Amino acid sequence: MTALRWMALALGLALAASRAEAIEIKQVTTPLGIEAWLVEDSSAPVVALSFSFASGSANDPKGQKGLTSVTASLLTDGAGPLDAQAFKQRQEDASVALGFGASLEHVGGTLRLLSAHRDEAFELLRLAVTAPRFDSDRVEQRRAQMIAGLSQAEQRPAAVAQRTMMATVFAGHPYGASASGVREDLQTLTVQQIRDRAASMLTRNGLIVAAVGDIDAAELSRQLDRAFGGLPAGPARGALPEWTPPLEPRIVNVERPVPQSSVLIALPAIPRDDPDWHAAVVMAHILGGGQQSRLFTEVREKRGLAYSVSAALRSQRRASLLVVSTGSAGEKVAATLRVIKAELVRMRDGVTDQELADARTYLSGSLALLLDSSGSVASLLHGLQVDRQARDYLDRRAALIGAVKAEDVRRVARRILREEAMTTVVVGKPAGAATTAEP
Amino acid sequence: MRRRIALGGLFAGALLTPRASALAGLLRVGRRPSETFTLPNGLQVVVLPSRRAPIVTQVLVYKVGSADETYGQTGIAHFLEHMMFKGTGTLAAAEFSRTVARNGGRDNAFTDFDMTGYHQTIASDRLELVMRMEADRMVNLRILDSELRPERQVVLEERRMRVDNVPSEILDEAVREQLFGLHRPYAMPTAGYVDDVKKLGVSHLTAFYRRFYAPNNAVLIVAGDTTAEAVRRLAERYYGPIPNRRVVPRHRPADGGSGLPQRVIRADERVPEPRWNRDFLAPSHRVGETRHAHALTVLTRLFGGSETSRLSRALVAQGGIALSARSGYRATVLGLASFGIAVQPARGRSVAEIETAVGDQMKRVLDGGVTAEEVERAQNQLLASAIYSQDSLASGPRLYGNALCTGGSIAELDGWPQAIAAVRPDDVVAAARHVWRDEGAVTSMLTPAGGWK
Repeated sequence: MTALRWMALALGLALAASRAEAIEIKQVTTPLGIEAWLVEDSSAPVVALSFSFASGSANDPKGQKGLTSVTASLLTDGAGPLDAQAFKQRQEDASVALGFGASLEHVGGTLRLLSAHRDEAFELLRLAVTAPRFDSDRVEQRRAQMIAGLSQAEQRPAAVAQRTMMATVFAGHPYGASASGVREDLQTLTVQQIRDRAASMLTRNGLIVAAVGDIDAAELSRQLDRAFGGLPAGPARGALPEWTPPLEPRIVNVERPVPQSSVLIALPAIPRDDPDWHAAVVMAHILGGGQQSRLFTEVREKRGLAYSVSAALRSQRRASLLVVSTGSAGEKVAATLRVIKAELVRMRDGVTDQELADARTYLSGSLALLLDSSGSVASLLHGLQVDRQARDYLDRRAALIGAVKAEDVRRVARRILREEAMTTVVVGKPAGAATTAEP
Repeated sequence: MRRRIALGGLFAGALLTPRASALAGLLRVGRRPSETFTLPNGLQVVVLPSRRAPIVTQVLVYKVGSADETYGQTGIAHFLEHMMFKGTGTLAAAEFSRTVARNGGRDNAFTDFDMTGYHQTIASDRLELVMRMEADRMVNLRILDSELRPERQVVLEERRMRVDNVPSEILDEAVREQLFGLHRPYAMPTAGYVDDVKKLGVSHLTAFYRRFYAPNNAVLIVAGDTTAEAVRRLAERYYGPIPNRRVVPRHRPADGGSGLPQRVIRADERVPEPRWNRDFLAPSHRVGETRHAHALTVLTRLFGGSETSRLSRALVAQGGIALSARSGYRATVLGLASFGIAVQPARGRSVAEIETAVGDQMKRVLDGGVTAEEVERAQNQLLASAIYSQDSLASGPRLYGNALCTGGSIAELDGWPQAIAAVRPDDVVAAARHVWRDEGAVTSMLTPAGGWK
């Protein structure tokens, strides 16, 4: 039994025992052995499910980039006896939102339903994961939509910066593979390849489920067995290869005719299970975690060089990065980069007691802000499971954050903020004069 | 305010198909309980209690937006929104957000055509803190030139990010100029024209602030783990002492741009594939033939609101002419609204093909081909989305803020599900006939540098 007392502890609130909203995460194990985390909450007649299969776009076979993404998007395009239109119609008639998408290491799904339509919602989920049709007309449409989407993304500086950063930092590793050449591969994918990919990824091994809302454990258990019970167990998942972080600084400029350049700076960070992880979280927050961060103050508040500037940790199983992102008019890019780099250097000298105390308070309390809707709670619980945290992590998190000392922040800053490992990507016209598009 | 309505009166027995009774079920769910009161100084307060988590959201919306600016000083409402995060007599610059964060909360703000909003989400025992600070900056804001100058650059960077870097947004500015008429309220971009923003100074912003920021020109919405009594007590203490001031009623034209129909074409080297749009002037809940507003809400849902809508079925699923085809309409605006159709053509399709296909679908509606079944489906979807919106702390304040800042009332909001459920196929056809007319239309295209090939 895991109550989210962390919010109360963190903020020093006197949370009376009678309060109804203290969230309790239950472990549910179905008769067929499917495991899920559940938070029961009947404050709205709504249930949200967040789940994932343990294989993602980093597992795309060679020469078949985009395969996992397109397969995921086709799961709701007709299943069992229902063609795409009939499937969507059933969804709409029951007001069920069901969607799938691929990330590097997972194919994730979300299901949102009104509790009055539970049976229908889980039936559609069952059909989507056990009997997707992959009708050729839908395959062609999704292929065309994805190719068009990629062409458009190619014109958005922030998307190009992201893609370029991934391709550069993860060159030669599966994490970087889907950052380029996807359009070309998409053209050649066959329906059979899509069917094979669905069969390989839609298995119970590694299935993660989080459910929140107006449903109890017994009912959830019954519905999960119905929806996922027909899937094969599947083989154990092999790990992706190790990643070797870049050993020298890289600067990549991509020219695009835009008035504002998009800038990313990526640094190899530390793994999620490193003892310094929470110190790194605190460090990233002080550096670029909000409107009081050092980067926000120096880049935006004092100098007006950018509208948005932030730093955040991103972690995968085989790699984690600290990524600084901002956008600045072409002629200001050089100044912006100078200010950011000076802040990265300054962070290596440590933080003040006030900064540390503020960051600890914020990070302990801010998780509560994610409890805004059933969907966001489900997503939080799903994320914790992906990160392999125990159910009581939320109870312990405040203490873990609270235990971070100034010397820990300084140590982890020195581990991560190393100029020699920095990859800088600028997309736009950083050197030239600003060009303002005429309406 | 629980709602219990049987649908017997709205639907004849023959129409009580399974879907119609689903509609009845959705109607019975009703709206979340809310309480509302008004302070003696005119500040309207709405409380939306929810005990899901020990957090509250405070939203203070002012009944002023970019459409209340004057031509030549565009961008002022948005610039002022930025300056509201600088200092007051007792709070240093940036201390507002710093204090919110220091207490584990987050805060932000937004500017729209008809409204400007400030919001914080924080542990429920910190409501007093954010209310004290929000009330403080309602009257005590100090706009200093030394803080305004760097912030102007930030505002211009925001414009670059949101508009100048995004070809479809640049086109949208041009479409609004045609649809609503150059220099008129909804044609002036919220981000402001660059030349205007460069000229705005302390005196402009201060005058705008004094003119519009007053308790009797604002709505306070508090959602989350609190009670109406607690909110009333705090609101009386912090907002209560702020004197009201005379606020000039806002004006929105009853007509749109002159010389319609128009075509606007923007060729942009950044655009890989063409896009096609057609926007029509439309009545809102306030201006024009307002009786069509609910029917238009149903129309946009069944015509282009989902993947099973008429447009999507005909152009995407069956025709293969388009990669996507949607329509959009929002009735909660203070002036005239717009009804938009947006098509992303499939590769190699011509303008003529798109216009013929869209025109054909419009004609079917105009000829009366709207079925009771599809109207009920659309109604179901609309009512279901209203129920889903109760599941989020953010959506309640958005709903109330939008309605109350655009001349709506709580009673109208409460009556919305019934009003939607009462729309009949004939109403949908009549609304389409009223809005889909050439003299209210702007057709626009975004094309690659070489044009639509």
